[in-house]
Amino acid sequence: MGQTGKVGKTVIGAALALAAGLCLAAETPDFTGVWTNAGGPGIGGATATNANAATLLKPEAKARIDAYQKLVAKTGDTPGGWCLGTGMPGSMLGSGGYPMEIIQRPEQITVIYEAHSETRRIYFGSRNAPEADRVPGRNGYSSGRWEGDTLVVETNNLVDQIDQRTTSHSDQATIVERYSLDGKDAQGRRILKAEMTMTDPVFYTAPVKLTKRWAEVPNGRVLPYECPEEMWNDHLAKLANEAGVPVP
Amino acid sequence: MKTLRYIAMTAFSLCLAAAAGAHHSAVQFDFGKQVQYTGVVKEFSAINLHMRMSIELKNAGGAGTHIVKFEGHSTNNMYRAGYRKGMVQAGQTVTVNAAPYRDGTEGGYVIAVTLADGTFFGMKGRAQDAQRTGDEVRRQAEGR
Repeated sequence: MGQTGKVGKTVIGAALALAAGLCLAAETPDFTGVWTNAGGPGIGGATATNANAATLLKPEAKARIDAYQKLVAKTGDTPGGWCLGTGMPGSMLGSGGYPMEIIQRPEQITVIYEAHSETRRIYFGSRNAPEADRVPGRNGYSSGRWEGDTLVVETNNLVDQIDQRTTSHSDQATIVERYSLDGKDAQGRRILKAEMTMTDPVFYTAPVKLTKRWAEVPNGRVLPYECPEEMWNDHLAKLANEAGVPVP
Repeated sequence: MKTLRYIAMTAFSLCLAAAAGAHHSAVQFDFGKQVQYTGVVKEFSAINLHMRMSIELKNAGGAGTHIVKFEGHSTNNMYRAGYRKGMVQAGQTVTVNAAPYRDGTEGGYVIAVTLADGTFFGMKGRAQDAQRTGDEVRRQAEGR
């Protein structure tokens, strides 16, 4: 085969690969939109699909959680009450009343939870950061892939969150979410389902599994959420009082 | 004199800190109950994490007035419940439905507001909605 033939085959091969890629990309569902709770039992419609997380706790983890809850019981303090984002998996499980917006691109899906304006970025393929560059945080680091019509998101680099409402975990926790469309509700709205599995050998004797559903809000909008306005106003009032002047 | 001033300043600072801390939790409100007040708006601010409002009420004896303070939903929740910018102004007469303080302090957590012209925003304001509203607030705004 001559040089021209080889080049031709390479070009055809590349074109076929590109076409296949485009077709695959076209086949993945588009979750872009604003989503609210689809209702149902549990936190914002989330349902435990195995035993309740509390029943899977290791004794030492339960002791830590009990101590934490005793500490905040009287005041009812929570991270959210102090304008700290909920963190995973609570940010995902609790989203809906304050809606969730998904912006989908092939290389990155961005999820914005209105409460506390928490944002998750789910990276695909080469868009992913090197492991050493991933910054631990309350929502961790998320990478995604498609398995047919299902979006699979793996999250690690989480920090210890004893303060999660029902899904406390250590910094060793990893979370897998499997997102898929689940038909339509009685109003004709698309339903998005997430099946979550959290594995944390430090806190739990077995993976914690929950399923959450959202309904699409047609032409929905996520509102701005600047949590600390109240605290800032209090602080200004304090400064003004100390200075003996009115708040400007 | 300096010592007295220091004590006074310290006490004031502690009061402010306590007041600021108190705003961050809904635990002091009883969302299983509902109270209603009608008065004149003195201050209103739609802010996050919680809206703030004070109204002037006539004293029970008929003579004089006093100020009652409220807090309530985030701006976001208020907008979804029908509130729009500028809807509440100082000087307006309003009726406020609120979840009361557990310790009996006047005021509470605003569930709904009705203006003199009938304009309404908030949850439906029925007693049975109060618990649901409170639960939702705690879930969504304070850690879920």
